[in-house]
Amino acid sequence: MKQNLLNWIFLAAIVIIAAFIPMIFGIYYSNVIVLFSIFALYAVSYNLLLGYTGLLSFGHAMFFGGGAYATALALTHIPGFPLLLALLTGGLAAVFLALIVSPLLVRVSGTAFAMLTLAFGQLLYVICLKYREVTGGEDGVGGFPIPSLNIPGIVSIEMTDPLKYYYFALIVVLLSLFIMWFFTKTPFGQIVVSIRDNANRVDYLGFKVPHSKAIVFIVSGFFAGIAGALYAMLQDLVSTDGALTVYMSFFPIMMAFIGGIGSYFGPIYGAAILTIIDEVAAAYTEHFELVTGIIFILVVLFAPLGFAGFLNFVKIKWSARSSHQGTAEEVS
Amino acid sequence: MNIMETKGLYHDFKGLKVLFDVNLEIKEGERHAIIGPNGAGKTTLFNVITGTYEPSKGHIFFKEREITGFKPHQLTRMGMGRSFQITSTFTRLTAFQNIRMGVLSKRGIRFNLFQLLDGMNEVTEETDQILKRINLYGERDVPASALSYGKSRSLEISMALATDPDLVMLDEPTAGMSVDETRTAVKLIRKLTEGKTMVIIEHDMDVVFSLADRITVLHLGAILASGAPDEIKDNQAVKDAYLGELEV
Repeated sequence: MKQNLLNWIFLAAIVIIAAFIPMIFGIYYSNVIVLFSIFALYAVSYNLLLGYTGLLSFGHAMFFGGGAYATALALTHIPGFPLLLALLTGGLAAVFLALIVSPLLVRVSGTAFAMLTLAFGQLLYVICLKYREVTGGEDGVGGFPIPSLNIPGIVSIEMTDPLKYYYFALIVVLLSLFIMWFFTKTPFGQIVVSIRDNANRVDYLGFKVPHSKAIVFIVSGFFAGIAGALYAMLQDLVSTDGALTVYMSFFPIMMAFIGGIGSYFGPIYGAAILTIIDEVAAAYTEHFELVTGIIFILVVLFAPLGFAGFLNFVKIKWSARSSHQGTAEEVS
Repeated sequence: MNIMETKGLYHDFKGLKVLFDVNLEIKEGERHAIIGPNGAGKTTLFNVITGTYEPSKGHIFFKEREITGFKPHQLTRMGMGRSFQITSTFTRLTAFQNIRMGVLSKRGIRFNLFQLLDGMNEVTEETDQILKRINLYGERDVPASALSYGKSRSLEISMALATDPDLVMLDEPTAGMSVDETRTAVKLIRKLTEGKTMVIIEHDMDVVFSLADRITVLHLGAILASGAPDEIKDNQAVKDAYLGELEV
């Protein structure tokens, strides 16, 4: 709990700093931060599957992209579609996809699971690419109106203003992160972690493993969909290459691993690290993927618990006396 | 009254017959040991009864209800608890968290997404009480993977019992334990299973004769004999097949 409190304080500090960033650094960097927070949300939602439930999915982009497309299409075709509903549409579309794929996915594990998620992800990619009457094919869906945040009689905030969208996105991401954190701390969250450790025993203790996994899919998918919706409204464009490619499924894996899959906050660190690397490396080379790729390899080889694991290690070294405390504290 | 019974139970793995017409009767409140040489089908019998496998043929009844083909979680909810021969805990969770899973199950807390688990004081209290009873309170926050062998075996057994089952099925609870550890484990089992029906698979004859009031001998997948410990000791067929080699 203490560790979590520290993390939240840390996060609060970042939020306060983030609140002033647009005034200090201008709008370019605030866009970078919005993008970072969207990916942090996406990566944390992914880690509910990987770090918490022990499911290595190669198709998480179907939830992100599905959510992004749903929001974009709703805004394109329904005049006056409200902002919050557009956001929710992204989440619910992802839930809908999760409901379709989970009956099959919750019954397989290991390689079969990984391959099936890859197949489902690619399936959605191809559908969106080929079904151009609706999705616009390679061009995607773009130029849709971004609604204002309207609370009738109280306030109306123009979201086309990047500064205002910056705050809106940040609040949505923070709220989502908090809900997911809460989720991992509920009795159900404990069952999920137990499934990762020993699904058979969970069954023998009287819990339904497939149903539990399906709920994780739904929750994880929902927040990936929310991230997708934020992304769609940030870019005012959703395309298969931008939201549904297999690379989009790999990003959260890399972020989770680099940041640390053993910690709730790990993927957020991972998203931050990758964002910074992208920004810095992009100034020197066009091939910044090469840099992130090498870092990914190094982390997997030498620091399997990622940045969060490294922080934890430092913490343990620091207070060497409380020997076993550190390892048990994380994702559990 | 029989709390559990099997009728004409068969099981085979792709043609290899492992169980052969097993008719087992477990009376309410009894302490029933299942013994037999390696490969006799004891663990398979457990697996078929507790829902790991569906039997190839035959019927299983629990609390006068047919449970053939039921899944483990259904049986656990009906009041059947099981421990494993090969320790099967949640290795990355602490001893406390392991036991707490059993407590959650007993209380029917399954799909609760709206409450912080650490804030559920009754659950925490009950879990701590169990930890004290099984002498693991000192290792409360140690991950299961870091426990000594004896302690992790205690944890293994106690997880099954934390669900407060009416019928406890223990698969070789003392497997691999030292003499001292075995003695402690037997005491623990006796304490924890008080007032419950128990079925135990066991190789250690001292444990069997000190814990069981009925014994079933399984040999080549079939029941060779069933009865009180003294009857089993004197049974010639059992001596020939099993006990003789152990020189009891």
